[in-house]
Amino acid sequence: MLTHIISKELRDIIGTAKFAVTFGVGAVLIVFAFLAGARNYQASMARYEAAKGENMRKLDGVTDWISVRDNRIFLPPQPLASLVAGVSNDIGRTVQIEGRGEVSATDSRYSEETALAGFRLLDLDFVFQIVLSLLGILFAYDAVNGEKERGTLGLAFANALPRTVYITGKVLGTFLALAVPLLIPVLIGCAILPLMRVPLSSDEWIRLALIILAGLLYTGVFVTLSVAVSSLTSRSSSSFLFLLVIWIFAVLIIPRASVLLAGRAVDVLSVDEVAARKAQLGRQLFAEDREKTAQFKPSATGDPGAMMKEFQQFMEKLADERDKKMRELSTRLNEERHNAQQVQERLALGLARFSPSAALSLAAGGLAGTSLSLKDHFLASAGAYQAEFGRFMLEKTGMNPGGGTIVMRMRNDTGEKPKPINPYELPEFRYRPIRLADVFQGVLLNLAILLAFNAVFVAVAFRAFLRYDLR
Amino acid sequence: MANQPMFEAANLSKRYEDGLLALDHISFSVYPGEIYAMLGGNGAGKTTAINLFLNFLEPTEGEARIDGIVTHREPLRAKEKVAFVSENVMLYPNFTALQNLEFFARLGSRRRFARKELEDVLLRVGLQADAHDKRLRSFSKGMRQKCGIAIAILKDAPAILLDEPTSGLDPQAGFEFLRLLASLRGEGKAILMSTHDIFRAREIADTVGIMNRGRLVMQRDAADLAGTDLEELYMKHMAGHNSEVVPLA
Repeated sequence: MLTHIISKELRDIIGTAKFAVTFGVGAVLIVFAFLAGARNYQASMARYEAAKGENMRKLDGVTDWISVRDNRIFLPPQPLASLVAGVSNDIGRTVQIEGRGEVSATDSRYSEETALAGFRLLDLDFVFQIVLSLLGILFAYDAVNGEKERGTLGLAFANALPRTVYITGKVLGTFLALAVPLLIPVLIGCAILPLMRVPLSSDEWIRLALIILAGLLYTGVFVTLSVAVSSLTSRSSSSFLFLLVIWIFAVLIIPRASVLLAGRAVDVLSVDEVAARKAQLGRQLFAEDREKTAQFKPSATGDPGAMMKEFQQFMEKLADERDKKMRELSTRLNEERHNAQQVQERLALGLARFSPSAALSLAAGGLAGTSLSLKDHFLASAGAYQAEFGRFMLEKTGMNPGGGTIVMRMRNDTGEKPKPINPYELPEFRYRPIRLADVFQGVLLNLAILLAFNAVFVAVAFRAFLRYDLR
Repeated sequence: MANQPMFEAANLSKRYEDGLLALDHISFSVYPGEIYAMLGGNGAGKTTAINLFLNFLEPTEGEARIDGIVTHREPLRAKEKVAFVSENVMLYPNFTALQNLEFFARLGSRRRFARKELEDVLLRVGLQADAHDKRLRSFSKGMRQKCGIAIAILKDAPAILLDEPTSGLDPQAGFEFLRLLASLRGEGKAILMSTHDIFRAREIADTVGIMNRGRLVMQRDAADLAGTDLEELYMKHMAGHNSEVVPLA
């Protein structure tokens, strides 16, 4: 009996012109999201390779490692970030590596492409959030009350049909009627990726499969919600109106409002404030060091080489002390800001999760490695690379020249043409995306939230339908 | 006549939540091979009685029974015994006649039907072969009504409930419909129909019950009605027992 109801639902939905049109639009958008993502990845990869090449070219003809003071590293494009952009376009992708000091990322994509910043990308996350939720509502808003209005509900229940079987069939049938056809453009999209030379590792395929699973659960949320509202109202026009209002709140209002509310509730030191305080200390320390430099007197005045060495050591000591003080302030301010930000973020995300759309976005972002933690992860990787770079420079030059160190050199003109350095000796920056294991707990929480939404709405639909007036 | 009534209203009453007494202690029985017509105007309680037999409503007092099964106690078992045709059969507009028939017939009988079986029933109720594969949205009311009867026939239930089945049918369709009812009666089905079509009720019913404001004010079998002006009787009961009958001009 259940399969009979499900198969009727499938035929009833899939056989309509409404389905053909909306599914067509949805399918085109999904395929387009994959296509645009793949092209975006190719373009980002080309930009990334060009930037890396330019970084190397700058070192052409440099004959002294001590002159290597403008080494840059770049956040490499990630295939899944092209499908679920998350914060990847908001954060800086370039970090200047100096050997010491705090690292910061600049040149976000949105800062370069302002039009894109205004309208954002049409990525899979956006298409899922908007298209799947609207499809769920469009095909289930009249699941029960529409049958009553058509007169088919009474005819069906003139038979020995248990209500639980009917409502289960309704929910499953509507869900399958949407989910199965929508998997077709998703699979086409998945096939497009390797065809357009977007290399996905097995780990990334698993992540993509989980993103699709999150999308299916999200579709389920709006299908079950619509069936529940349809069972609570007697007119389909009323249920459509209710669902439209719920959609606006769930998809558009709650995620944004939660960030605003959290911002109001928790004060976080602004980036400008932190930068101003650091700059102030930096200026003060530089002024002090300038005075100390002016008062520098070498102990051995006869040997210029020894004098130079002593001066370098003196300058390095100053730089180390300055770096230490700056680091202490930075650490304190960053920690203060980070802690407050964590509280604010937790509150915002906690509130946002009342929206299934936010739960989908967080799950997808976490799986694609483009969640809020991407910036911290990139900067941590950059910091680790900077330490490696510092060690390399120490090995090559005998000092770590970063952090505004003044370097004095003596040239012994031996008549020999100095040999250029080999820039490829520089340690390579290898970015490792956030591991699935590290984000899995968060992803699982969001998937569980989507599942819980489904369960709650199914329970509401059952409860309402068991009392539904069938006349 | 069999001993066990197929439809039985025993002191059946229904008062709605707003206080309206829709059915006031009515009792009647319909036996296999019998057609019972409930006559009455709008608000007489005919549809409420049908809804009680289908367990779409629960009685305030009394019982509605189908083949001895109390409908509000064992609704699923009771519904296995009954087929229903509503006043305005509304099926799935995007499905063809055959698809609609297959869906509802399988809901009723819980078995698969061969296409030939479905076509035969549609032909029996007078739906021409060229309409079988057409979508319901293009069907007239009469054609939909025929599909409704076909669904009821395929269920092969011993009891058939009809709510205003001839309402809106043209004379030809109405005539064919009555012939079909007679044939179902011949097969031993018990048929309970609500109608306000006095002429067709007289033509086909074995027993006529007149309902007014939730009460069964008169009940007579066909033999008693012979030679009686049913219309006059109906008007008299509609106006109230003590009022004078005003003959129609």
